[in-house]
Amino acid sequence: MRVRTSYDDETSDEALLSGVAVGDDRAVLHFVRRYQRRLFGLALGIVGEPGMAEDVAQEAFIRILRHAAVYDARRGSVATWTLTITRNLAIDAVRVRRATPTAPEDRVFLSLVSDERAPDDAAAMSESFGQAHAALATLPIDQRRAIVLAVMYGRTVAEVATLEAIPLGTAKSRIRLGLAKLREAGATMGIS
Amino acid sequence: MSDDLIEFALGTLSGRRRAAVLDHLETCAHCNAEVESLADITDKLLWLAPEAEPSLGFETRVIERYRGGDARRRTARRQRVSVYAVAAMVAAVLGIGVGAVVTNHATTPPSATTIRPLTGRLMSGTQVVGDVTISSGSPSWMIMDIDAGKLSGTVWCQVTLADGHTETVGKFTIANGYGSWVAPINGSARHVRSAQVVNANGTVLAQVTFAA
Repeated sequence: MRVRTSYDDETSDEALLSGVAVGDDRAVLHFVRRYQRRLFGLALGIVGEPGMAEDVAQEAFIRILRHAAVYDARRGSVATWTLTITRNLAIDAVRVRRATPTAPEDRVFLSLVSDERAPDDAAAMSESFGQAHAALATLPIDQRRAIVLAVMYGRTVAEVATLEAIPLGTAKSRIRLGLAKLREAGATMGIS
Repeated sequence: MSDDLIEFALGTLSGRRRAAVLDHLETCAHCNAEVESLADITDKLLWLAPEAEPSLGFETRVIERYRGGDARRRTARRQRVSVYAVAAMVAAVLGIGVGAVVTNHATTPPSATTIRPLTGRLMSGTQVVGDVTISSGSPSWMIMDIDAGKLSGTVWCQVTLADGHTETVGKFTIANGYGSWVAPINGSARHVRSAQVVNANGTVLAQVTFAA
C-alpha cells in the first residue's frame, strides 16, 4: 500500500523538498505557494520591473524544483538556498541589461540603510528578517549602503565606488569592514 | 580579508580573477572557510527582501512549466531524439547544424492573462543540454539553462531573427558543465527563430530552433 504524505503550513521546508524530489505534485504545489511571494519580492527588488521579476522568479523555481534531489542541508537552509538562487538569477538579468541600469535610489532595498527600526511586524514576518535587520543596523550608514549595494544589487566594488562617488579603496574598505562587523554581529545574535 | 575573496563571496567577481580564486580555493582550507563564512553572512541578508505578490496565475505557470519540463526530461532519457505530441503544443525536429539537432515547441498559454513564453530544448547532437525560455513583452528576455557535462568555458549566445539576421546577445560561462544566463533581446520574441551557443571560433555547440 502506498503511503500518502500530507503537507500543510507546519510541514518543514526540508520535508517539502524531499516530496518534490520524489515527484510528489502536492509537495511542489505547497513549496511554490510557500515561497512565491518571497522569491518574487526579492527578484522585484533587484530588477525593478514586475514582468522581468516574474521571469526571474519562475526560472528560480524551475531550477530549485529540478534540483531538489541534490539539495544539501549541510550547506544552508532551504530558504537561504532558494533566495540565493533567485538573487543570482536576478543579478544576472540586471547585469546584461542593455539599457541604462535603474538608479539604485529608485529600488526598494536602499530603504534598509535608514536608521529606522525594523517594522513592528518584522517579528511576525520572520525571525530571520528581524535578526538580519538588527545585524545590518549595527553598521555605520556608509557601510550599510555599500553592503546593500553589493549584496542585494550585486554591484561590484568598482560600481559601488562609482555610485557612491568614493575612491575604490574606500569602497573596498567599507564593504570589508561592514562584512566583518556583520559576521561579528551575526555570531553574537545567533543568526541562523 | 583579500579583496578578491570578498568579491567572490559576494558573487560579483568574474573572469580571470574568479578563476584564480577558484584555483586557490581548491588547495587552501583557510580561504575556503573564509569564503564560506562571508557567503553565509551575505546569504542571510537576503531575508531582508520584502515579500511581494506576483500576478494572478503565477503559481499555475510555474507548476505547468515544471511539469512540462519534467515530462520532457523523462522522455528525453528514453529517446535520443524525440518529437513531442503534447496537446496544444507544436513540436518539430528541425535543422542539423554543426553537430546539433533541435527540438522545439511553443507552450500552451496557461491562462488568458499570462505571458506566453517561447520555450525550447537546447540540443547538442542528439543530447538535450539545456532549456531556453524567451518571454514576451518588450524587451523580451532570454533565459538559458545549460546542464551538460562536456561543455565548459566562455561561450556566446546568438539569436537568428525571422529576417535571417543573426545577432550576438552576449556571452556567459559554463563551469563544470553547468551555466545559466538571462539576457534581453532586441525586438519581440516572436521574431526569434533560433538561438545558438557558439564558442570563440564560432562553432555551434548547441542550438534551439523555434517554430515560426
